[in-house]
Amino acid sequence: MIDLQKKKFLVIDDFPDFIKLMKRTLFALGANNMDEARSGEQAIELMKRNSYDIIMCDYNLGAGKKDGQQILEEAKHSELIRHSTVYIMLTAENTMTMVMGAVEYQPDAYLLKPISKEVLGKRIETLLLKKADFENIEAAIARKEYNSAIALCEEKIKTSPKNKLEYLKLKSDLCIRAGNLEAASVVFEEVLAIRDIPWAKLGRGKVYFLEGSYLNAREIFQAIIQENKMFMEAYDWLAKTLEELEDMDSAKRVLINATEISPKAILRHQNIGNLAFKTNDFDKAAEAFNAAINIGKNSCYKNASDYTGLAKTLVHTDSSEGALEVLQAAREEFKGDRNAMLQTSVAECTVYKDLGRDDDAKKSIQEASKIHASLGGAVPVQETMELAKACFSVGDKATGISFMQEVVKDNHDNDKVINMVEDAFEVADLQEEGAKIIAATQKEMIKLNNEGVSLVEQGRLKDAIDFFEKAAGRLPENKIINANAAHALLMFMEKNAVSDKYLFKASQYIDRLKRIDPAYDKYKKLLFMYEKLKNPT
Amino acid sequence: MINPTKTIDFPAFLASTVHDMKNSLGMLMNTLDEVVETCVSKGCDSGSQLSLMQYESRRVNNNLIQLLTLYKMDMDQFSLQLGEYDVYELFEEIILQNDSVLKARGIELIMECDEQQIWFFDRELITGVINNVVNNAYRYAKEKILIRAVEEDGFIVISIADDGNGYPDAFLTTDVQQSTGVSFSTGSTGLGLYFASMVAVMHKNRDRTGTIEIANGGEYGGGCFTIRLP
Repeated sequence: MIDLQKKKFLVIDDFPDFIKLMKRTLFALGANNMDEARSGEQAIELMKRNSYDIIMCDYNLGAGKKDGQQILEEAKHSELIRHSTVYIMLTAENTMTMVMGAVEYQPDAYLLKPISKEVLGKRIETLLLKKADFENIEAAIARKEYNSAIALCEEKIKTSPKNKLEYLKLKSDLCIRAGNLEAASVVFEEVLAIRDIPWAKLGRGKVYFLEGSYLNAREIFQAIIQENKMFMEAYDWLAKTLEELEDMDSAKRVLINATEISPKAILRHQNIGNLAFKTNDFDKAAEAFNAAINIGKNSCYKNASDYTGLAKTLVHTDSSEGALEVLQAAREEFKGDRNAMLQTSVAECTVYKDLGRDDDAKKSIQEASKIHASLGGAVPVQETMELAKACFSVGDKATGISFMQEVVKDNHDNDKVINMVEDAFEVADLQEEGAKIIAATQKEMIKLNNEGVSLVEQGRLKDAIDFFEKAAGRLPENKIINANAAHALLMFMEKNAVSDKYLFKASQYIDRLKRIDPAYDKYKKLLFMYEKLKNPT
Repeated sequence: MINPTKTIDFPAFLASTVHDMKNSLGMLMNTLDEVVETCVSKGCDSGSQLSLMQYESRRVNNNLIQLLTLYKMDMDQFSLQLGEYDVYELFEEIILQNDSVLKARGIELIMECDEQQIWFFDRELITGVINNVVNNAYRYAKEKILIRAVEEDGFIVISIADDGNGYPDAFLTTDVQQSTGVSFSTGSTGLGLYFASMVAVMHKNRDRTGTIEIANGGEYGGGCFTIRLP
């Protein structure tokens, strides 16, 4: 039996008698370092101040309160718990309708209440041993050394037949994260040859999706839902796939079905809102954004776009006054969050414009531009584009064009974004001028990149590093520039010596690539190079 | 104001009440476990009554779990949580859960399973089925109950056999796969077998489906329940 005396416990339940009982049971099992929380808020506060080894959390903490799943998501999202922390979800019934969030936010175990002392002791022991077994791999993942983590998984698959499937699952997930879709596919096929296991089917679908084979992906996701209508992740992937196929109505319906089964998933409501808005289904959009706002009150996934989305929807249903109230609420809810304020100001512009208050609309644009400048490039493409559109709407063509140029510079090789820019120019009646601007900016970026590449070709690696680093500083979202910045750094280290400073820099550029486009071919190669330099042998 | 003519959603009412009852029962069971532990260590002489209380509360708990699960299945709100589990470990847990109560009646629970045995199933459902059969065997077994798992032709075959008088003939002649029946004459609600057959049927692998079977004879000459999962 593992010694629980040195382990720190947190027991979360809204029912004081249950906390007492659980603490007595844990005490009888040898634990004596135990904290308790009666609510999600209290639990999060405690997690901020303490480091727990084992968290025992009741799923249902009262109507309208943060539930166990939301606490877990927030704890992981804000990195309040370690990889080695055991998170146990206690439920009163064995129906999992309420849980089943994203895979990365699943507890280590669900336990059905009541649970006897003996069984609880045994489960905790098993979970701690399993965590210890995964420790090295988790550590490699935390360092983002996915290829090393994959190698560790392969070793475990050979030596630990009992957890083989779990290691295979982890390996496939890591292969996808490392951009190695073929290797992930091999794992899925291997597992599916043994048995029809839903996660492996989903994985095969994900690979199709990432490869751009949307029709194959759709078929698989539909089949999974047909067989297992509670597998929520499949709905999200099916909706994403349908969106790529530009079947927005079907995508929206799929997500609506999913929320009927699992009503608390905030990200899904956000997606429904956006899809409904795009398809001019404003009643549904308002409903979905309202749901997202309400759930968001207890969730780490609350987002200013829930409010701005609702406000823009209200403009279309002739309730612009209401929209202003919504945006005011957003200002209070997200005080101090500059990105949120940017979004809010842009949305305000739209609302004022609709109300005929052109001066106020212009003021909003000025405020938004100021915030945008203060963020120094760290603005999601979508937001910059919205800002540019707002500029066009109030007749400020020059500012709008300069924002659009910024978008193109960051995404000159991203067809999807370029298409959106073209659409925006068309709406603003600037189709021809826009096309010229896009072409010129793309050309400029290609020239810029070629200049850096030629430095590499001349063997002037140090100069190439300086060149690409400077460029990447201005273009944090540009795929090829960031890839080449990492590449120059890695090549320099291959030729000369490995340095922590350069390794660190390279890892940051590689990280950007993963965020921009995990299926990008160069990302996979650079990650390999990086890990080889970092962990020789 | 309460309108007596208003029709209520009785099944939903029942389910939410069962859920509430289960919470109370859970507290009751855990507290009882504590009482038994302190009582036994002090050598009190109410041991056998307390153990009967433990047994009966478990029976009620098993029934409530089954009712709730069947309700969810009926409402199409249930989803199988298929995972790969260590069968040996599962059996150890079943023994931990039942051993003290069985010992108090002089019954030994024996397990036979390969230590490396793993299989795919819904852990809570299968634990529920096994616990329920073991709980029944408590009433009929004389000295021994055996739980065994073997892999056979792509199925895991889990059987629970006792050394009692076996199932009554009326039981053996009904088709357990189709068992839905409440039989007031035998006093059996049929819930346990119905639940087990539902659980078996939900376990599928490609074109194969799980089954259950009851028979007499078995390893120890008494009743023998078998569930086969693909």
